[in-house]
Amino acid sequence: MAVEAIGRVPRRPGPIGRLGAGLLDVLQVLGEAASLFTAAVRASAFVPVDRQRVVVQMVRVGTDTLSIGALLSVFVGMVLVVQAADQLREVNESVLGPIVGLAMTKELGPVMMAFLLAGRAGSAMAAELGSMTVYDEINALRTMDIDPVRFLVMPRFVAATLALPLLILYSDFIGVWGGALVVAIDPAIKLTTNEYFARMLEWVHFSDVVIGLVKGLMFGMIASVVPCTFGLRTRGGTEGIATATTSAVVWSFILILVFDFLIVRGSFTVN
Amino acid sequence: MTSGSQQPKRRGVALDLRGVRRSYGGAEVLRGVDLSVNAGELLAIVGQSGTGKSVLLRQIIGLERPDAGRITVGGLELPRYLAIPPEEKPFRIAMVFQNAALLASLTVAENVGLRLREHRRHRPDEIEAIIHRVLADVELEGTEAKLPSELSGGMRKRVAIARALAVDPELILYDEPTADLDPILTQQIGELIGRIRTNRGSTQIIVTHNLPLARAIADRIAVLDQGRIVECSTPAELAASRQPLTREFLRAAALGV
Repeated sequence: MAVEAIGRVPRRPGPIGRLGAGLLDVLQVLGEAASLFTAAVRASAFVPVDRQRVVVQMVRVGTDTLSIGALLSVFVGMVLVVQAADQLREVNESVLGPIVGLAMTKELGPVMMAFLLAGRAGSAMAAELGSMTVYDEINALRTMDIDPVRFLVMPRFVAATLALPLLILYSDFIGVWGGALVVAIDPAIKLTTNEYFARMLEWVHFSDVVIGLVKGLMFGMIASVVPCTFGLRTRGGTEGIATATTSAVVWSFILILVFDFLIVRGSFTVN
Repeated sequence: MTSGSQQPKRRGVALDLRGVRRSYGGAEVLRGVDLSVNAGELLAIVGQSGTGKSVLLRQIIGLERPDAGRITVGGLELPRYLAIPPEEKPFRIAMVFQNAALLASLTVAENVGLRLREHRRHRPDEIEAIIHRVLADVELEGTEAKLPSELSGGMRKRVAIARALAVDPELILYDEPTADLDPILTQQIGELIGRIRTNRGSTQIIVTHNLPLARAIADRIAVLDQGRIVECSTPAELAASRQPLTREFLRAAALGV
C-alpha cells in the first residue's frame, strides 16, 4: 500500500504548472464567491421572516467596529489636516476643509470602514463558519433541511451591507470633526473652524456623500460574502480555520480595492 | 412517549442500497455497496478505519451523491425524497454526528428545537413541550439553558440524540455514537439507542468500531471491508462467522482491544 502510494506521487509542478494551479485556485474562489453572492441575494427575500437574525448580526458588526472606527476616523481626519496644512501653508489653507471633506466622504471613510469591517467582523465570520464547517455543524444543518445560506450567510450579508453605509456616515462625521479639532487647536494653522466648515460645505456635494454610500453597499457585500465563502470552503481542522480566516481578510482587502477603483473610474466616466 | 412495556410502534422506514459507489480523487472508497435494512430494524455497520463507513452514511442522508448505484428510503428514490420540501416530506431522517455537531452558539434547548422552529410547523409551546420530552428521554432534564461547551462529551452526544428525536424521525443514522466515550457512557448510549428502538420503533443504523456494543443492541450487523459489505447477519450468526475480517474483529473484541 505504502509502496503503491509512493509510486503514485506526482512530479512536482514547475513554475508554469504552479502559476496555472494558482490561477485555477483564484478562479475557483471567485466562482464560489459569485455563486454564494447569488444565493445570499436570493435568500434575502426571507429578511422579513429572519429579521431577528439580521438584527443580531448588525449588532455584532456594530460592536466590532464602532469604537475602533471612531478612533481611526478621528486620527485620519487630524493627520489629513496636519499633512495638508504643511503643504498648503504658503499657498492656500482655506482648501483644508474641502480636502478633508472630500477625502473622507468619497475615499477614506468607505475604504477605511470596509477594511475595518473585513478585518474585524469579516474575520470573525470566516472563523465562525470555518469552525462550523470543520466540526460538521454545517452538515448537521443540511441534514435538518435547514439551508446554511439562509440560516448563516444571508443575515451576515444583509447586516454588513446595511451597516457599512451607516458606519461610513459615522466615520465621515468623526473624521471631519477630527480635522476641525486640529484646525481649532494648532497655532500654526491660520484658518478658523468656521472657515474650515464653510469652505467644506461649498465643495462637498450630496453626490459625493452618495458615492461613498454606494461604495459602502458594494464593500459591505464583499466584506461579508468573501469571508463566508472562505468559511464554507474550510478544510483540515484548526489550521484550516486559521488559513481560511487570513485568506478571507486578504481577499476582502484586494477585492475592496479593485471595486473601489472600478467605482471611481465608473463615476468619472458618468460625469 | 410510550412506556418500555408496550409494543414498539414499528413506524420506521425500510432502506435499500444497490451498487452504491463513491470515489474521491480517483480513490474508490465505496465499491458497490448492497444493503437492505427493514423498517424498525437496528443495524450496526462495523469495519476498520478508512473502509468507508462514515462515507456510506453521508450517501444515505444525502450529504453526498453516490457516483453510481441506487438508494431507496421508505420506497422513495433518495434524490426524489431530498427534493420534497421539508414540510411535505412523508417521513423524516435524522443523523447523529460523531462529534455531536451541536451549534456552539445555541443553548441545548435551542439546538434540540432548531429543526422544529425553522420548519415552523409547531407552535412555540408545542416546541417547548417536545424539547422537555426528548431531553427527559435522554436523561438531560435541566440542561436546557446550557451551552454545548458546558457539557461533557457524553452529554453532548445525548443532546445530539435528543435533537434527532425531536422531529420523531422514522430513520436515525449514528456515526460512531460512542467514539471517545468511557465504557460506562458507551453502555448508557447503547441502552438509550435500545430504548429508542423499543419505544419509538424507528429504523436505526449505527456505524461503530465497537463490536461488543453492536452485538448487544443490533438486530443485524453488517461488516464493511474495502468498500463492500462482506457479511450481514444477526449477532448470533456473526459469532460463528468464518469471514476472516469478522473473525479478526471478534478476536480483538474478545481481547478487549
